Amino acid sequence: MLLSSLFLLPAAVLAQTYTEHLHLSPLAQTSHLLAAFNFTSTTPLPAYESGHFTHFPRSLAQILQHTKTRELHLRFAWGRWDDEQWGPRPRMGRREGGTGVEIWAWLDQDHGGDVEERWSGLVNGLSGLFCASLNFIDSTRTTHPVLSFDPEGTHADGVTGQELLHGTLPHEVVCTENLTPFLKLLPCKGKAGISSLLDGHKVFDANWQTMSIDVRPICPAGGNGGGECVLEIQQTVDVVLDVERSMRARGDPIPRPRPIEELECDGGKGYGGGDTCYPKVKEGEMGWSLSRIFGTPVRGSCHLGDGHADADITLEVPLDRMVNVTNAQPLDAGNEQGIRSYRLPNHPPGQYTDLALPQQSVTQAVVQPQPPLYATRTITGSGQQHGGMHAHLRNPHPYAQTITYFESLPWFLRPYIHTLRVRNSETHENVKLEKMFYTPAKDRERGTHLELMFTVSAGGEVELSYDFEKAVLRYTEYPPDANRGFDVAPAVIRVLPNDNNTGDGGRQGSYIRTTSLLLPLPTPDFSMPYNVIILTSTVIALGFGSIFNLLTRRFVLAEEVPASKLALRVKAIVGVAQDVVGRLKGTKAVEMGGDAVGSGKGDGMGNGAG
Amino acid sequence: MRVMKEKEIKQTREEQTNQPALINGHAHGPRVSVLASACAFTCQREHVKELQSRILSLASAFSGHVPVASCGADASDAIFVLPLGEPCGHRVVVVWLVLLAAWRNAEAHYHDRSVGSLGRNFRPSTLKQATTSAGQNPSTAAGNTGMDEANGNKAAVADIQSSAAGTAKPEPPSESQSLLRTRRWIVLSFWAIVVCFGLPHWLWTTSTYRASLPLEQMNNWAEGKACQLYFPFNIRLGVQGWSQGEVDQLAEQVRPLLDGTDKQSPFAFLIDTHESDCGYAQADEAVAVSLAVNDGRNAHEHISSLESWSSTLSLRYGLARPKGRDGLARWVADEVREVFQPQIESLIHLLSGTPFALERTALTTAATQAKLDARNTRAFKYASTYHLTFSLFVSGSSPAAWEIEEALHDYLEPLIDALKAISNITVDTQVQLHASFSPSIACPVYDKSSKEWKLRKEDLSGFINAAEWPLSPSIGSGPTINFVLYAPTPTQSPLVIAETGGSSWLVPQWGGVAILNSQTHTTRLSKADLEPTMLTFADQLTSLIGLPAEPAQSLALRLKALSRERATSLILSSSSTLGALSRLTLKLTSIAIPDTVAASVQTSLDHLTLACSDLKAGRYESALTHARTADEASEKAFFEPSMVGQVYFPDEHKVAVYVPLLGPMAVPLVMIGLKELVKFRDARRKVKTG
Repeated sequence: MLLSSLFLLPAAVLAQTYTEHLHLSPLAQTSHLLAAFNFTSTTPLPAYESGHFTHFPRSLAQILQHTKTRELHLRFAWGRWDDEQWGPRPRMGRREGGTGVEIWAWLDQDHGGDVEERWSGLVNGLSGLFCASLNFIDSTRTTHPVLSFDPEGTHADGVTGQELLHGTLPHEVVCTENLTPFLKLLPCKGKAGISSLLDGHKVFDANWQTMSIDVRPICPAGGNGGGECVLEIQQTVDVVLDVERSMRARGDPIPRPRPIEELECDGGKGYGGGDTCYPKVKEGEMGWSLSRIFGTPVRGSCHLGDGHADADITLEVPLDRMVNVTNAQPLDAGNEQGIRSYRLPNHPPGQYTDLALPQQSVTQAVVQPQPPLYATRTITGSGQQHGGMHAHLRNPHPYAQTITYFESLPWFLRPYIHTLRVRNSETHENVKLEKMFYTPAKDRERGTHLELMFTVSAGGEVELSYDFEKAVLRYTEYPPDANRGFDVAPAVIRVLPNDNNTGDGGRQGSYIRTTSLLLPLPTPDFSMPYNVIILTSTVIALGFGSIFNLLTRRFVLAEEVPASKLALRVKAIVGVAQDVVGRLKGTKAVEMGGDAVGSGKGDGMGNGAG
Repeated sequence: MRVMKEKEIKQTREEQTNQPALINGHAHGPRVSVLASACAFTCQREHVKELQSRILSLASAFSGHVPVASCGADASDAIFVLPLGEPCGHRVVVVWLVLLAAWRNAEAHYHDRSVGSLGRNFRPSTLKQATTSAGQNPSTAAGNTGMDEANGNKAAVADIQSSAAGTAKPEPPSESQSLLRTRRWIVLSFWAIVVCFGLPHWLWTTSTYRASLPLEQMNNWAEGKACQLYFPFNIRLGVQGWSQGEVDQLAEQVRPLLDGTDKQSPFAFLIDTHESDCGYAQADEAVAVSLAVNDGRNAHEHISSLESWSSTLSLRYGLARPKGRDGLARWVADEVREVFQPQIESLIHLLSGTPFALERTALTTAATQAKLDARNTRAFKYASTYHLTFSLFVSGSSPAAWEIEEALHDYLEPLIDALKAISNITVDTQVQLHASFSPSIACPVYDKSSKEWKLRKEDLSGFINAAEWPLSPSIGSGPTINFVLYAPTPTQSPLVIAETGGSSWLVPQWGGVAILNSQTHTTRLSKADLEPTMLTFADQLTSLIGLPAEPAQSLALRLKALSRERATSLILSSSSTLGALSRLTLKLTSIAIPDTVAASVQTSLDHLTLACSDLKAGRYESALTHARTADEASEKAFFEPSMVGQVYFPDEHKVAVYVPLLGPMAVPLVMIGLKELVKFRDARRKVKTG
């Protein structure tokens, strides 16, 4: 695949360069399209260190300088890559992150100050820059992996004196507010060139998307004197778009039945009565174009006059597929791999470029390559206290592959390492662990770090499982949506390079990430503290009251209880009131009597006297 | 007879009330027996004895009739096996027994009262029973004399009759004094626990920590009492070719002329005539006056000149002028005054309206005041570090690069190096393409007559597109000063301000903006293209830092004046911060004051004192350093996060938490307390009247 070749170091490192590139490849047998954007700019290291930034974003550079970060890898990802359908991941999974946010960086150790403190400064700074909750990456979500990551840049004295820190935030929802600052870091800011295609509505409507930022120093080969060292920033956006869904009418996002005239009916059915429409089975590949999928064609170009003439857009479709190009210069009509490349015209103000592929039946069969490994991970078990983790790895290739398996678990998931089993799922034999790094969790201080290295035999399947215990959190540690569950970061699997799959992988190998998991924890009744306060207070008050009364009260017979003054007074008032009421009633009765029987006055008086 | 009566009554009560046997008719009260064996297991015999004696003394203290049997459970009312876990837990035992005795006491009195009141409480049926039982059981009274019996019966009958005849409510029997005393002790001890232990504990656990602050000193500073500001200007006078004596003589003549008539003025000129080691002014010298007297016949010229990079005032005086030598002293004094007059005015302006204000100094003119106000509103507040950001915003995509490093090096770095004496300055640059106008402003209009695009003056303040242009402040302490060079598209060039025709302006306390109207359309701006812009930025930088405009010829003198002003303003701001903190702590009594605040306040006060003494001695550099430390410390104390972020508990919340616990406990305590008080008062009255 072409994308894997993008990793080769540039042959001639130019001091101040900017390139951008869009790779489009329909995913075989599905109606999905992979669009992989790449924006790379370099700046000479001395200029960076003295604070003169041209294409390198100043806001990011200042954070990196302030925290003495040598190499940075930041990922925002959402969705699930469908290995079975879509094949191997783009860029060998190396520009991909676990669900949510993932960050790892090499920080200088020898500059005084605590590395942890500068790491916290880094994630806080990036949090502000990208409008993401990266500041929640604290010590409990930070690990120090050993096997899974190697630096990509050239470091003069290796990575001695530098510390690798890795943090994950699986709960983070990546959205438009993260894309906007991402685009602002680009020299053309999404206003010209291929970045003008990036629109939050389309990117986050995708089935799978990942954004990455990678900063690394590159020195030309040949050691000292070979040329100037540069700092490279690579920004990528990879999206898998559902072609049909993306091309639906923009002004009418609600799915509605189409008018009868627009329906493509299959009239060949013998049992059709003319009043029904049997949908016609579509033949061949679906037609699409850039402007219909992204809602807009490419606006202008972002060539910054640094002299290079690389392709801006590459298209990986069978060679017999028709492509209508508007306003772009084809560089290569199709090489042996079936990749066509195009370059946008230089500085055409207000000019638009588009690629359109009509619907066409293609005879050339597309061979879907196999991904390096299939991996799934699930949580097993039931109940509030215990659970288990189960990962299933399958090697589809006819050669053995050595992999590292990295898990960073939150502290409230306490694995029992004695139950860790790595077995071949067919023969049930234990797989020999070549290396294992384990840092146990400390409550509220750090999470578990588990790294394993073992070999999956040719065509073999490996099951990895262990049991764990769920911790009970403190009352205030629960998030507002405690019953949703707690996210567990994906496992990172690195397939180490070997003789059979090196290809362009170099020393990095390829990466696969499992999906993130949702761990339900026992949640308390959140009104509990108030109940406890009230209940305890009542019990204490009851006990105190009865003892105190027993000690100080005098017990007398009920008849002897002296009438309290208050009661007497109340009684007196009641008596007075009754008296008044009685009197009022009396006069009323008298008045009424007087009114009713005017002549009976004498009787009344007589009664009264009697 | 007595025994018999008791038995009768016992019978009666048992029949009448069906009272359980808990209360039995011992007139002498209940007995408490201690299973001495329990104690004997764990301790020596003498301990048992000690225990007995203690119980006895306690019992007698309680009431006269709680005898304690040390052995033999038969006579006792109850056996209490006490948990003597620790060897000889006497105290535990004693406390237990006190409680038990009190309990028993209460029971005994209940019983006593029932016995005593029976006489008046008999109902006719009871009476009948009582008399019959008395008559039917003469044998029980065998040991008594008939007289007694008859008397007793008579008395009983008389009682009954009187009670049956009377309609008054029965009253409880009076309590013995010892009982009343005991109850009073109990109530008192409960109240003592509540007052001596409960309340202090409650207050202690709910109070906030407040470190003591030197409030008086803080207020003294805020009110300007702690330091009388005084600004001496040290002047070194040197005359070429004159002897020391002549120079001293001239200095004597100049000094009164400089000081003027006002002896109380806070501005003083000190003239030093000693030769300095080097030709330049020393650090604490305000100015070095280098005078050359030309006694030539045709020497008419009076020339004063300032040097840009040193604070030296060069004077050339020709003696051929009419006034000749007599006018020399006055002329020198006038020249020196002229140099310092703007500074004095600016310091007076700075101090006006503060508690440090100088009363006797003459007010400056309105025009000068307006000028000084404008200067102060433009300038940034003093900071120990300023970040300068130079940004090239390009409307299209070209030019995409600029030779900023070289341009900065040639045109700005000399100035920045000079300013570093006062503050640290960091520099960074950036290029931003596709920068669009802010949507809030009207787009420029093309003026056909001058062939220029005009930008309205009202739109200058909204020219910066804050939402889209990445002009975020730099990381680290200190403000960021932005310099924006805007390159419009070739189609919209030249772009000028409509009213003035200028192409650069200053945004107060934010930075400077310049528009690049270059005729050549290159992709890379050269150093030469940037020169006019860089010079504009340099001028804007001096205004934004707050450098005084005069004397225009000498940057060194302007910098010295700035350090003097900054030291003064920092002392003022630190003092007012301390005053505000002192008022705040007095006003918000619930705010916590951690020890760090007290420490910062102390640091601030110490450095303020040092700054004040340095200022008086004319050591302005050192005064600035101390004033900076003092200001930082006082700001740190004022904005202490643990003080600001106090948790607020509304009163309803407190009530909801405390009432369920304290309500049921406080009500009986208070009621009984009041009752006892009333009783106590009544008893006192009785004693007095009786």
